[in-house]
Amino acid sequence: MATEFELNGQAVTVDIESDTPLLWALRDDLDLTGTKYGCGIGMCGACTVLVNGRAIRSCITPVEAVSGASITTIEGLHPEGNHPLQKAWVETQTPQCGYCQSGQIMQAAAMLKDFPDPTDDQINHAMGGNLCRCMAYVRIRKAIKMAAEEMNARDNTAQETGAAADE
Amino acid sequence: MSKFYRYLNQPEGANTKPNQDSDEGVRVSRRGFLIGAAGAGFTLAFFRAGLSFAQPEEVVNEGTFEPTIWYHIEPDGRIVVNIAEAEMGQHVGTALARIVADELEADWSMVELNHVDSDPKWGLMVTGGSWSVWENFTPLSQAGAAGRKALIEEGARLLDVRPDQCEARNSQVIAGDQSISYGAIVSRGDLTRTYTADDLKQMPIKPATQRRLIGRESRALDIPDKTDGASRYGLDAKVEGMVYGRPLIPPTRYGATINSIDDSDAKSVKGYQQTIVLDDPTDTVPGWAVVIADSFHAANKAAAKVKVDWAAGDTADVSEQDILDHGVNLIESLDKGSIMFPDDGVDEAFNSAADVFEQDYITHTVLHVQMEPVNALAYEKDGVWEIHTGNQWQSLIIPVLAKALGVKEDKVVMRTYMLGGGFGRRLNGDYAVPAALASQKLGKPVKLVFTREDDTRFDSPRSASYQRMRMAFDQNSKPTGMEHHATAGWPTEVMAPFFMPKGANDEPYDPFSIQGAAHWYSVGPHRVRAISNDLANATFRPGWLRSVGSGWVNFALESFMDEAARHAKKDPIEFRLELLKAEGKNAGEAPNSVGGASRQANVLRRVRELSGWGQDLPEDTGLGVATSYGQERNMPTWTACVARVHVNRDTGHVKLEKLTLVTDAGTVVHPDGARAQVEGAALWGASMALHEGTRYEKGEPVDRNLDTYTPMRIRDIPEMELEFVESTEVPVGLGEPATTVTGPAIANAIHSAIGVRIREIPITPTAVLNALQT
Amino acid sequence: MFKKILGGLLAFGVLVLAIFLLIAWESSIEPVSASNSDAFSKEQINRGEVLAGLGNCETCHTTDPNKPLAGGRAMPTPFGTLYSTNITPDPKTGIGQWSEEAFARAMREGVARSGSHLFPAFPYTHFTKMSDDDISDLYAYIMSQPAIQAEPPENTLEFPFNIRLLLAGWKLLFFDEGRYETDTSKSDVWNRGAYIAEGAGHCSACHTPRNALGAEDAGKAWDGAIINNWYAPALNASNPTPSSWTETEAYEYLRNGGSRFHGVAVGSMADVVHDGLKQAPDNDLRSLAVWLSDLAQASDEQQASKRSANAIRAVHNTQNPSVMMDEGERLFTYACAACHYNEADSPSALRPDMALNSAISAPTPINLIRVTLNGVSLKEGLPEAMMPGFSQALSDRQITSLLTYLRATHTDQPAWENLEQHVRDQRPQTQAQ
Repeated sequence: MATEFELNGQAVTVDIESDTPLLWALRDDLDLTGTKYGCGIGMCGACTVLVNGRAIRSCITPVEAVSGASITTIEGLHPEGNHPLQKAWVETQTPQCGYCQSGQIMQAAAMLKDFPDPTDDQINHAMGGNLCRCMAYVRIRKAIKMAAEEMNARDNTAQETGAAADE
Repeated sequence: MSKFYRYLNQPEGANTKPNQDSDEGVRVSRRGFLIGAAGAGFTLAFFRAGLSFAQPEEVVNEGTFEPTIWYHIEPDGRIVVNIAEAEMGQHVGTALARIVADELEADWSMVELNHVDSDPKWGLMVTGGSWSVWENFTPLSQAGAAGRKALIEEGARLLDVRPDQCEARNSQVIAGDQSISYGAIVSRGDLTRTYTADDLKQMPIKPATQRRLIGRESRALDIPDKTDGASRYGLDAKVEGMVYGRPLIPPTRYGATINSIDDSDAKSVKGYQQTIVLDDPTDTVPGWAVVIADSFHAANKAAAKVKVDWAAGDTADVSEQDILDHGVNLIESLDKGSIMFPDDGVDEAFNSAADVFEQDYITHTVLHVQMEPVNALAYEKDGVWEIHTGNQWQSLIIPVLAKALGVKEDKVVMRTYMLGGGFGRRLNGDYAVPAALASQKLGKPVKLVFTREDDTRFDSPRSASYQRMRMAFDQNSKPTGMEHHATAGWPTEVMAPFFMPKGANDEPYDPFSIQGAAHWYSVGPHRVRAISNDLANATFRPGWLRSVGSGWVNFALESFMDEAARHAKKDPIEFRLELLKAEGKNAGEAPNSVGGASRQANVLRRVRELSGWGQDLPEDTGLGVATSYGQERNMPTWTACVARVHVNRDTGHVKLEKLTLVTDAGTVVHPDGARAQVEGAALWGASMALHEGTRYEKGEPVDRNLDTYTPMRIRDIPEMELEFVESTEVPVGLGEPATTVTGPAIANAIHSAIGVRIREIPITPTAVLNALQT
Repeated sequence: MFKKILGGLLAFGVLVLAIFLLIAWESSIEPVSASNSDAFSKEQINRGEVLAGLGNCETCHTTDPNKPLAGGRAMPTPFGTLYSTNITPDPKTGIGQWSEEAFARAMREGVARSGSHLFPAFPYTHFTKMSDDDISDLYAYIMSQPAIQAEPPENTLEFPFNIRLLLAGWKLLFFDEGRYETDTSKSDVWNRGAYIAEGAGHCSACHTPRNALGAEDAGKAWDGAIINNWYAPALNASNPTPSSWTETEAYEYLRNGGSRFHGVAVGSMADVVHDGLKQAPDNDLRSLAVWLSDLAQASDEQQASKRSANAIRAVHNTQNPSVMMDEGERLFTYACAACHYNEADSPSALRPDMALNSAISAPTPINLIRVTLNGVSLKEGLPEAMMPGFSQALSDRQITSLLTYLRATHTDQPAWENLEQHVRDQRPQTQAQ
């Protein structure tokens, strides 16, 4: 069955079984392998993508459920891979094996919309579903705060100058 | 896109220049070292004799371990360093490339990494034991220096000056106000130069003071691709015409056979093709079947509907307790096991002791649960079997794959991708075997994907261990002898028996399963008896897991040292310092363990200062210490840790508040990468002590997924303070040592906090409550 | 003697039957030829469309979204299954032959054009309160819709419930015909809200429990009820959520599909909000909100915020360290909290807080089980936001642990009984849908 949605700004159609998890549709049918499989039951966060801007575990989301929605994966978070979170992840040298980091970054991106200046407690809760087996948590936390600072500074500048923040 | 990304997008390797250059331009003689013009590029290739591993002489079959590591410089000045080590988060490529680049006086921004395939020309391929930097430091430095020398000579010729008027810096040969870039030398020069093995060995390397890259902060080259989805892991491998497979794993690791398979219900699943039974001459995956489908989703759905009737193997009812009970029996059978080194005088010491102190320790099964479940893509192309996967020990599994497929080893090539976590799981490449067998049976490419549940059932876990520690004291409460009896499943016995040295009683032992026990404390006569738990070996395939035996051995050893200190009524740090004397066998030797026990004493003293040892703490809060030499006496990473915990007496909850770690790893090549390794390793140790652990029931681990298996998450992370000792000694490993100390430090801190001793990990709230009640 | 008595009884019986028939009998109204939509003004049709939305006609009278109002939707009742009728202007299978008089009689009296009584699944008990103008506008709208030929399946009611004539008796007992009566003690806005809610909106059809004969139980008005395997929560003061329905929250919910203090609209309520109320003017929704907050005896906005904050804070205080968590708390922490965690003082409707959610404090776990298993689709709840279902990810036991944990820590309500059985029951039932 064909399902249509927007993927990183482009209209796409996948003609696969409608109960196929979005994760495998992205990876195997749409060739975007940055989104990872970790547990298949929504417990590790490696498969996190944004659906209409909000974080979703794609391993338990049937592709039919996102029909008509706008999906953002790690590949589409920023055209040059320079989202403040991505820059902060490099700046803090956060990734080790890197496998969980697409999910961590996407989850963090969603979190910063709801908690733009996150406290440790907010990070603990909002990032609690994202496992990092290399235990790079110290840096993940640092990188999130660094990115938040940049985004807030940018927003403030934008407000002061009356210009829209570039997304 | 990175070079690596492009490389992996051409997995057949058809146009990977380095290989071509090498094949066409370089004739590698067995003991030779050669620089030659090759194609359009300049290739420096060298060949080195093997450096020893754990317990070298007796186990290393001369000639087997000869990694060939090389780099080349393109006419445009790019320096491509070939990395035969698996990248699994340790940023090994960056560290190794910086060693080469420093001596080469290269412009770091021109350096690229090329992760290589498993061609025999790379020699032994294994990434584990935290060996990579240590084993490669000197040869890579010399390779860099040789390149610099050749470039200076040729650059001088092109500039029409004498070589001694030139110096190399930042990928340029400079003579006064003239200079020429390496790229220009390569494209314009005529580089033909041969060094003998002796030349190379004598190739001087720069004094530490002149290092420009090593020890300086830098960014890991693999990181940017790990923030935008570009990095390719085994699970991302793809080839035209492949089908997906999901394994059907039998109820026991060995000895299971399939009576019948009924896939009639699966036929309704769209995309389901068939279920095939694997016939495995290597017995790596006995009793396996694989569900084949057009997509992984279809394979997954069909797998739930295929009914397999298995005849289970002998271990179908084995439990964790059975394995531990068997361990106790083995320990009490004094004729069992291998005596690691001569133990003259131990019995006398104990017979004449004023006092003998003895305790037993248990560690439970730990799963790897690396984030990327194991997987492999296998297919045959032009008579060669291509195995695309993430792997840490290609040289170990290729012969197995060859035997499974019934082909010669040179007909199997492994393309190693980024590893979604190694931690030792991917030292054991067993997961590639069913992929290869399925592909052979079907005659088409098979991408075999394990679900998380499949991965944990098929894990090579860290075996449960049972250990007995004994110490003899004289009248002054001074230690006069020590015994350490340890039993666990032995990965090396099962998977790489050729790696097993023989002990003093001529019995072989798994060096990785007892490492840590040959400690640097001067305690008088010392007996270390390592015993293979054959019931564990039969029930599962024991695995190397981050620090392997040092993990459980040090839990026992460092808990026991703490207990012994208290038994002797001494401060635990003072007690240890008195025993770290750096004399006799503990004096250390060049080049690897210069300073011996004195360096361990040094990190211990430093962690005492940093952690505020001895300060007043709130109620039910305590500090605990542990120290180790990492893993191997031949490659000691001096490590000390103080853990601060608060224990809730009502609930038994242990809150890990802070970890303070001091590490002396000699020269630190990539400081930030080193920090990251210590952070991760320390938290692994803490996670195993407080959060993880499973048990075997009915021959399988009870925890199968992350709903019940619960490694540390971001909310659980303590405050951390890390320090490295400044040193120019030989660089040693960093990936694992911190894992060995956090567990015992936590157990010792619990004792300081509330006065109870927990001798079993994971440390559960229930265990704490029980201990408080008794 | 015996014959005499028997004869007397018979005669009495015949008399009663005759009287009953006299009451029960409704004449047929002459068919009209397919109405000409030009007969209606555009304004009238537009007004009718809003009314159709307020009454949410389409939800019950549609099975295939491509055939709106063509009927056929199954409505399971304790007496058997009813299928909604085709109310498109198709002359053969729909109501194309119905005059406005026939339509108005159906709306007001529950009698079809043919004269047969309509089952009260068609809520004429509420529509009877609608004004003449509104019914006229609604007729205009419906008759202007495309005619679709579609015969709904036969009802499968059990005897004697399949005898339509008996409905006259039901009406005698439970039906009062009559227009909405203004409550002069209340504001005009309130009355407008009540008129919509009690009339076209027929809110209590779902939110009030029904008696053994399927009539709304007046003694339990607005107490909440199970309908179509969803629980329609209590709208009166008996609703146990920490914060009552203030005007602001009620409006937000009806306009957008979610309230930060209550949760999001799922199931048939999602249809009400996103299909039904979509066309309704803001004034009507504000009127409904005024009426609802009065019915709920809502506290003021400040109180509501405070109560919500306290409820969230109370939950935060119960949180355990990882190793102390039971299965339910662990599952919540790893699988749910990333989306559902809030700061106590600023819960977001897009992060429905479980301490405030109606589904968790409800007397039945149905809604919570269904949402946990099947998620919240993009068409439900707040626009654009969704939740994946956990039916493939979690076992019945795990869902039971999760819900037990939420109920015990996030509400002061007693534990749900037989929770695991409920989960087991819901799994196949809802997955088939």
